Amino acid sequence: MARTRSRLTATQETAEGTRRGVIGSRLNATGRRKAVTGGTIRGAELRTAALFIAPGFLLYAVFMLFPFIQSIYYSFTDWNGATVNMPFVGLANYIDMFKDPLLWSAGWHTVVWIVVGTSVPVAIGLLLALLLWSNTKFVVFFRTLYFIPFVIPVIVTGIVWGWIYHPLFGILNSMLEFFGLDSLTRGWLGDPNTALVAVIVAAIWGSFGFVTVVLFAGLQGVDRGIVEAAEVDGASWLQRARFVIIPMIAPVLTLVTAITLIGGFAVVDYIIIMTQGGPGTASEVLGSYAYSKAFEQNSVGYGATLSILITVLSLVAAVAFLRFREREQ
Amino acid sequence: MNSKLAQARAVNRSASGAAVAPPGRARHAGGTLLKYVILGFFALITAYPLILVVSTALKDPLQISVNPFQLFSSFHPQNIVDAWQIGQFGSFFFNTVKITVPVVALVVALSVLAAYALARLNFPGKGLVFLLFTLGLMIPFTSVMIPLFYQLRDMGLLGSIWAVILPAVAGSAGFGIPLGVFLMRGFYLDLPNELAEAARVDGATEFQVFYRVMLPLSAPGVAVLSVLVFFQTWNTFLLPLLYLPGTENRPLATGLYQFAAGRTQDYGLIAAGALIMAVPVLVIFLIAQRQFVKGVTTGALKG
Repeated sequence: MARTRSRLTATQETAEGTRRGVIGSRLNATGRRKAVTGGTIRGAELRTAALFIAPGFLLYAVFMLFPFIQSIYYSFTDWNGATVNMPFVGLANYIDMFKDPLLWSAGWHTVVWIVVGTSVPVAIGLLLALLLWSNTKFVVFFRTLYFIPFVIPVIVTGIVWGWIYHPLFGILNSMLEFFGLDSLTRGWLGDPNTALVAVIVAAIWGSFGFVTVVLFAGLQGVDRGIVEAAEVDGASWLQRARFVIIPMIAPVLTLVTAITLIGGFAVVDYIIIMTQGGPGTASEVLGSYAYSKAFEQNSVGYGATLSILITVLSLVAAVAFLRFREREQ
Repeated sequence: MNSKLAQARAVNRSASGAAVAPPGRARHAGGTLLKYVILGFFALITAYPLILVVSTALKDPLQISVNPFQLFSSFHPQNIVDAWQIGQFGSFFFNTVKITVPVVALVVALSVLAAYALARLNFPGKGLVFLLFTLGLMIPFTSVMIPLFYQLRDMGLLGSIWAVILPAVAGSAGFGIPLGVFLMRGFYLDLPNELAEAARVDGATEFQVFYRVMLPLSAPGVAVLSVLVFFQTWNTFLLPLLYLPGTENRPLATGLYQFAAGRTQDYGLIAAGALIMAVPVLVIFLIAQRQFVKGVTTGALKG
C-alpha cells in the first residue's frame, strides 16, 4: 500500500510540475504585459474591487454595523423610545444593571441555558456520530433524520414541544402516568421549577442533529487503520473513543461546542415562543430580558445596555475560543 | 515501536485464547445490538414531534376535543384547506416567498461580488474590509435589534417586506452577506489561478474574468449559500415579529405564532399551519441535502 501511495504522489508531483511550468510561462507573459501598462492595470483592479465590494458593504454597514454602534450609544441614554431627544446618562445604566436583581436571575438562567444547552447536545451528538461512524448500516437514513429538527422552524418546534408538555394531553405526562409516576406530572411550561429546563430540552432537540452531522463530517478524516490497530491491541470501544478517536477530532469538537455555546448567550426566540420568560420571570434569559425591556416596557436605553452586555459576553467567549484553538493547533 | 506492538498483540492473543473467543463475539453482537438500540431511541425522539404535527394536522375537529394528540386517530385533510384559506396561511405562505426570494438573490449576488474582490484582487484596506465583514458573523441579532427598529421606522420601512429583507441580507438574522462573503471567499481562494490568468492574457477585463470564468466555477458554492440562506430566511422569526407588525405582509413564522396564540384550542389548524410552513423547508432539505450539510460543515469546520 505504501508503494502505491508513493507512486501516486510521484505522478501527482510530475503533473504538478508540468502545471507549474505552464503557470510559470503564463506568469511571465502577464508579467511582461504588466511591465508595459502596470499603472492602469492596478487602477482598474482597484476600481473593480471598489465596485464589487461597495453594494454589499453598504447594505451591511447600514443594517448591521450602524445599528450596532447605535446600540452602544443608546446604552448611555435613558431613552424611552418616544421622545425626540435622548437624555444622556453616562454609565448610569451600567451601574443600575449590577444592582438589578432581575438581571442576575436572567444571567443565571442564561448560564443554565449555556451549560445544559451545550453539554447535552454535544454529548448526544458525539455519541451518535461515533456510533454512525463504526460500520453502521442505514447511516444516511439516521443522519438525515437526526438533522431534520435543525431545519424545522423554531416556531414549529416551540409549538409542538408545547403540546408534548401539555398538562392534560401531552405525551410526557401520559408516559409518567404509564410508569406510575403520577406525582411528577405537571404543566411543564407553567411550572416555575421546570419551565426553563423544558424550553432548553426543546432547544436541544433542535440542535443535537447539527452537532451530530458536523462531528460525523469531522470523523471522515480519521484513519480507520489506527482505530483498528487499537482494537487489535485490546482497547475497548470506550477506550478507543476516548484515547484514539476523540483526540483526532478535537478541533472540530471544540468548534462545534463553541458555536453552540456562543449561540446560547443571545437566545431569544425559543423563550418568546414558548414561555415569554414566564411564569413570572422563571425562564427569563438575558436576550428575552433585553427584548422585554426595550419593546414591552419602553426602557430602550436599558434594553440596549443589556444587549451590549450580551454582545460583550459572546465576543469574549468567541475570542477565548479562538485563543484556545490556536493553542490546540 | 513496531515490535512492542507485536508483543502486545501476542500477549493479548495468548491471554484471550480460544475459549474466550466466542464470548468476545457475543459481546460484539451485544454491542452492535446496543448501538442500534441507541440509534433507534434517538430516531424515535427525533421523529415523534414531527409525526405529532402530521397526525394533529389530519385530526377531525370532533376527535380534537377527546384527545388532540392521540396519533392518527382520524383522517381529516380538510384542516389543511381550512388553514390555507380561513387561517390565511395561503397569504402567509406567499408573503414568505416574497421575502425569501429577494433575500436569497441579494445575498448571493452581493456576497459573490465582494468575496471575489476580497479573494482575488489586490487593493489597500483589504484586510480591514474582511475583518469588518467577519465581525458581522459574531454580532448576535440581540445587539442590533433595538436601534434597528427605530432606524427602520425613521426610514418609513416598518411594516413593508423590506423591513425584513434588508436586515436579513445584511446578516442580522444570521446567514446574510457576512456568511456569504466568508463562505464564497473560501471558494474563490481555492480556485486555480491559471484560468483567470489565461483569460487576462486573452484581454478579458476584470469583470469578464469574474463573470465568465470564476463565477461559473463557483457554482457549487453558490448552491450551498443559496440553500443556507433560503432555510434561514424562511424560518426567521424575530425579524418579522419586530419589524412587520401589521397583518398585510405577515409571513408564516409570525402568522403561525399569532394564530397559535389567538386560537389555542384549534390544534388541527395550528398543526396544518405548521405543516404548511415546514414542508417546503423539508422538501428542499431532502433535495439539496448534500449542499446543506456541506454548507453547515464547511461553515463550521472553517469558521
